[in-house]
Amino acid sequence: MLRGVSKIISPELFTIRKLDASLAVLLTIFALGFVGSTVYPVQPTAVVGPLETPPSQLYPLGTDAYGKDILAQLIAGIRGSLQIGATAAAISLLIGVLIGLMAGYKGKIIDNLLMMLTDIVLLLPSILLMIMVAAYFKWRDPLLVSIIIGITSWPWVARAVRSQTLSLKNREFVNLSKMAGLSDFRIVIRDILPNIASYIFMAYVLLMSGAMIAETGLSMIGLGTTQGVTLGNILFWAQVLEAVRRGLWWWFIPPGATLVALAASLLMIATALDEYFNPRLRGS
Amino acid sequence: MPIISPFIIYILRKGAFIIATFFAFLLVIFALPRAIPGNPVAALLTQIFQQAQANPDTVKAVYRKFLEEFGLNKPLHEQLFDFISRLMGGDLGTSIAFYPRKVADLVASYLPWTLGLLIPAILVAWAIGNLLGAWAAYRRRTRVDNALLPVFLVLSQVPYYWLAMILLYTLAVTARVFPVAGAYPPAMSPSLTSTFILAMLHHYTLPFLSIVIVAIGGWAIGMRVLVIYELRSDYVEYSELLGLSDKKILGYVFRNSILPQVTGLALSMGTVMGGALITELVFSYPGTGYLLFRALSTLDYPLIQGTFIILVSTLLVANLIVDILYAYIDPRIRVSYVGD
Repeated sequence: MLRGVSKIISPELFTIRKLDASLAVLLTIFALGFVGSTVYPVQPTAVVGPLETPPSQLYPLGTDAYGKDILAQLIAGIRGSLQIGATAAAISLLIGVLIGLMAGYKGKIIDNLLMMLTDIVLLLPSILLMIMVAAYFKWRDPLLVSIIIGITSWPWVARAVRSQTLSLKNREFVNLSKMAGLSDFRIVIRDILPNIASYIFMAYVLLMSGAMIAETGLSMIGLGTTQGVTLGNILFWAQVLEAVRRGLWWWFIPPGATLVALAASLLMIATALDEYFNPRLRGS
Repeated sequence: MPIISPFIIYILRKGAFIIATFFAFLLVIFALPRAIPGNPVAALLTQIFQQAQANPDTVKAVYRKFLEEFGLNKPLHEQLFDFISRLMGGDLGTSIAFYPRKVADLVASYLPWTLGLLIPAILVAWAIGNLLGAWAAYRRRTRVDNALLPVFLVLSQVPYYWLAMILLYTLAVTARVFPVAGAYPPAMSPSLTSTFILAMLHHYTLPFLSIVIVAIGGWAIGMRVLVIYELRSDYVEYSELLGLSDKKILGYVFRNSILPQVTGLALSMGTVMGGALITELVFSYPGTGYLLFRALSTLDYPLIQGTFIILVSTLLVANLIVDILYAYIDPRIRVSYVGD
């Protein structure tokens, strides 16, 4: 729901206490992902125990249909999902910011063409585009999955960056730089970009949560990464091997709940950041 | 100079853009397999050809059909021309996995289930979400809003199919209130009898709820913000000074705030559709999501392409309908739209 999210940024949403809570959730999940395998050194891909055992002292989150440890998979899955989320978000951001800056700063025909392209991609559902592209690749490493997600999720960033650039480019400091004979490139880098940096940072956080949800969707339909573990990957196998109908709740609840917690805390952080960077939105 | 109604100009412009988008999409569909290194379609063709050596007749027929429809031995521009002209004639090719069934017929038999699930779910979620969002805004800084907002925020981040798994597990597997799979009991065949319709609704409830509950979150968040801004506008203050009832003022506020949400409806449909396709998998619901999954796992490229073309066309038509509706309810467009 990235598009939905971008319009909800509002002054009333958050108090600092809610920011604290979301940061705590986020850091807990990060810690689990990055330090978890040191504290709990079990191989996520190794068969370590009896099949389909519910959580116990020996297997804190139980085992799956192959006897693989779910907690170990969850730890690796968090890392895998964060990695894809971070890479895909960087790719989207790069495309979105470049197109938005060009369209907004250059204007006229370039603006028209780029915005037409943006509107077309915006109208086509990104998850369908992702499935369509991924279907043609037999092997998909995390980088490829990130690229597929990245090249389909940028339009709303491009639109927002364009409108911010439009409002900045006629300010006095930009005109001064023009009179001083600076090149367009330098003006964009030194006058425009720093002024939209806070927005870019916020967009990155939102893109990242969107990308992790997209990765899960791709995985669920069988087109996720074919290397390594992600949260979507765990859910895919739980779905294919009928974990739900056979009552193996410990297999599909933890990865889904972790994903929701990650995405929701990132959304709340982005909202709070926006409030902080845009003092005009605060108060009242 | 004849005066064309601004309404007509608006519709024509929107229509032209949607047609342009459709052709851009077709171009992507056409270019994708041909641009990816190692041409996956050609690779599949070789694979079928090798099978044909061992298992002659049917596989050879599949091979010939496939070769003819993709026309890989022809120059690129001829391939594109063939592709578009066949499509305009309503021919989406022949399925490989379900050979010799036509892709168009296959998708047509699965599509009603998807639309029957999607359209009511989107509309119901939209209505409930907007009402709840407006209510939360009206009761801002009270316990109602403080309790509702975090729920909306978390809901908006839940994948439809994960909620589907949770509902399936709690209400069908554990509590046994609802059936665990399908769109109707396997022993029944579709008919217009009351027993069948009841059984169908029984199967419909969980997939429907898993889409509605999640989608409510996003709508409510959006509406809440819109109403909060609207409540600050001058006319609200003026109406209060005039002594109008809260109910009356809220009615105006709601009407003004709902307009952007109508545009949002058009934009969100694609996202909901993507999520709903995967939700069908969780419930083994016989819609296009289920068909697409079969097509993807057998690398049935004609069927994959055909499903996408139908889904995207449906979506674009729905978008145009929402745009027309929007122009109709927004007097600013109805009366004064004259282009840029």
